[in-house]
Amino acid sequence: MNDYVITVATFAAIQAIVACGLNVIVGYAGQISLGHAAFFGIGAYASALLTTKAGLSFWAALPMVVAVTGLVGLLLGIPSLRVRDDFLAITTIGINFIVEAVFLYVPFFGGALGIGNIPRVTLFHMRMKGPSYLILCLIFLALVLLLCRWFTRSWAGLACFALREEETAAGGMGISPVRFKLLAFVAGTATAGLGGALYAHFMRFISPGDFSFPVSVMLLSMIVLGGMGTQWGPVLGAMILVSLPELFRPLMEIRFLLYTAILLVMIRFQPAGLLGEASLARRVLAKAAPRGTGR
Amino acid sequence: MKEILLRVRDLAKHFGGLRAVDGVSFDLHVKEILGLLGPNGAGKTVCFNVISGVYAPTSGEIYFAGRRTDGLPPYRMAALGLGRTFQIVKPFANLTVLDNVIVSCGVDRYKNLLRSFGSWTDARTRHRAMELLEKVGLERDADRKAGLLPLGHLRRLEIARALAVGHRLLLLDECFSGLREEEIVPLMDLVSAIRRDGLSVLLIEHNMRVAMKLSDRIVVLNHGRKIAEGSPADIVRDPVVIEAYLGRGGHGHAA
Amino acid sequence: MGLLLEQLLNGVAMGSIYALVTLGLALVYGILRILHVAHAAVYTVGAYLGLLFFHTTGSLWLACLGAMAGCAALGVAIERLVYFPLLKYPPYVPLIASIAILLGLEEICRLIAGPYILTFPAELPFPPLHVLGLDIPSPVSAIIGITAVILLFLWFLTTRTETGLAMRAVSQDLTIAGAMGINSHAVVTFTFAVGSAIAALAGILVGIYYNQVYSTMGSVPAYKTLAIIVVGGLGSVPGAVAASLLLGVAETLLIGYAHIPLPRDALAFIAMIAVLMWRSEGLFGSR
Repeated sequence: MNDYVITVATFAAIQAIVACGLNVIVGYAGQISLGHAAFFGIGAYASALLTTKAGLSFWAALPMVVAVTGLVGLLLGIPSLRVRDDFLAITTIGINFIVEAVFLYVPFFGGALGIGNIPRVTLFHMRMKGPSYLILCLIFLALVLLLCRWFTRSWAGLACFALREEETAAGGMGISPVRFKLLAFVAGTATAGLGGALYAHFMRFISPGDFSFPVSVMLLSMIVLGGMGTQWGPVLGAMILVSLPELFRPLMEIRFLLYTAILLVMIRFQPAGLLGEASLARRVLAKAAPRGTGR
Repeated sequence: MKEILLRVRDLAKHFGGLRAVDGVSFDLHVKEILGLLGPNGAGKTVCFNVISGVYAPTSGEIYFAGRRTDGLPPYRMAALGLGRTFQIVKPFANLTVLDNVIVSCGVDRYKNLLRSFGSWTDARTRHRAMELLEKVGLERDADRKAGLLPLGHLRRLEIARALAVGHRLLLLDECFSGLREEEIVPLMDLVSAIRRDGLSVLLIEHNMRVAMKLSDRIVVLNHGRKIAEGSPADIVRDPVVIEAYLGRGGHGHAA
Repeated sequence: MGLLLEQLLNGVAMGSIYALVTLGLALVYGILRILHVAHAAVYTVGAYLGLLFFHTTGSLWLACLGAMAGCAALGVAIERLVYFPLLKYPPYVPLIASIAILLGLEEICRLIAGPYILTFPAELPFPPLHVLGLDIPSPVSAIIGITAVILLFLWFLTTRTETGLAMRAVSQDLTIAGAMGINSHAVVTFTFAVGSAIAALAGILVGIYYNQVYSTMGSVPAYKTLAIIVVGGLGSVPGAVAASLLLGVAETLLIGYAHIPLPRDALAFIAMIAVLMWRSEGLFGSR
């Protein structure tokens, strides 16, 4: 593997982590979010600030970063409880624009220039870069996938599925909508925070534009393309949407157009996602598949 | 005197100017089946929704299992052992029939955040849910997606879910409507058996024959007010009740 | 005082532009319950088409007509080829499709017209006005005047014509209207055509007003108009217009005049979230 492939793969792994977090909110709990990049950004900024300004190591900062992002997710999740469906979609877009504006306009966050000179992650005195950082990201991705699997098999996860399907009935089964929606929000945003931290120390320079609304769209597209609420959907979606622009790189000028065209064609003709129900892949695998949990 | 499980006092629920429920009082005893009857629009379902916590009452008091419960949200009522069905069925459409019932087996898990992180895929939970499905005769549909079931099956699924939640009281909202004759009899036997197991049942029913046969006592509502209360035999002879039903175009499928 | 009034007028002009773009979005949401983000791309295409026809014909009138016709066709194509087949899926599916169309159309504009900001050297045929000792420059009076005419036309269309009645029936319930003998799909198509034509006009007006046409000119309106229709009560056309004017004035006064150090484009969303927390159905919504 050359450096270029490793870079793309690392980025895809990070995006997959963030998309898994979004999958908890949208796929499991059914709460549409178009502002997930804001929490990706909060994680990145928190880690960047803690390591550059406060002088902490990546590992010391990480628990704080995840906690802070989850806490902000909790705070911003509370107003989101009041609205649903399309109102929720637009509210989360608003959250994304406002958070980006805060990064851009509050001098503490470095303004349009962002934050640079973010240190590399070190482990046992080894500075992680290239292949070793890719492996680190893959380990975190595996951890997130295990947590997701555990969550879908927990009562809390089942409560989220029930809320997604039929909120009134779920209430009648003893499920508090507030508690479990917020739980999904916190779990999803904290995961985005982890992804953000990995991103900051991978790029070593971050600016507000990295976490703008189109990034949220891309993240939602990943889980929709891969298969909403499925275990591997976010990973597949991230792999496709991160690698496509790279594969098209030789096409120069028209590569972004081709990319949006493919996104449109996929969503138009496979709206349930590549691993979703009734999808091509599902029908082929149908015979071997064990009893499903989520959708 | 028999022990009172549910006590409703001067219950009122107004929607703007509409007095859907207007000063209703009744008691429900332990191990009793109480029928709630009345013509369409009498306020039965609204009454149900206030008792189960979907709406907060405009005024009045509700006591359930020894504590005051008016204004508590539905999930708290469920945790107190109140299980209910919905007149318009509300399955978790994309989950399997079995998983639908398993959701309702978790009532005391959802109360505690830490305990809610335990697994629901263990054999014991599955076994318990299977038993409930067998009770309502849905065991063969266990692995089908709930959204694909016909209405009769969904009504029974609603009962299975309510049974898992309601260890004290079941609110059954027209759970016999839309069922075929040969489905009704076993379900009536089931409701009788539930009472023998120690549960109480509050029943909204349009099918008079079912209501008369199952209920120990009956409360009749009209225009949001209670117009009669008594044994089934008394109710069918009550001129006020006959007037309420026949005077509005004869909803009574007389016994 | 005079300065305040002038700023107020600028705010109304700004709000009128928002209203013209938002109208189509509100119409489409009212009828299909789809967040038609790609509407902003139709607006961008409208500006480019207008510029193209203006350069080829030399007539602003022909340019407007041509751009409106072209955008109406574009809007109808988006509805027929993408939205209608996706109606039965959850709302995020058409939303993502819409965002893909927005990005794709912006790319097409950039590839064809180049990555530069083009100028729109046209004169709006409106005289500068002098009212109450106030100078109203020609573009401002033109924008406010044209918006008023369009709004009157729409009001007449929806309340005084049979087509308008059908539109309102379809927005109540697509399938029931179909059962009542209304050709729902034709009404939906008509709605897209009207909304898109108005967006084209808005694109041309903005192009002339700022003397700028560029491929990403729709990016900010794309999302800001979403906030506007939420504040206006999703799907309510009068609400959308009122919210547009309110936002135009608020942006101009608060940020341009009172110098509140706030990013102009974030104001819409802050206002939106504040309104939603206070009234979760929007300022003028009823549902």
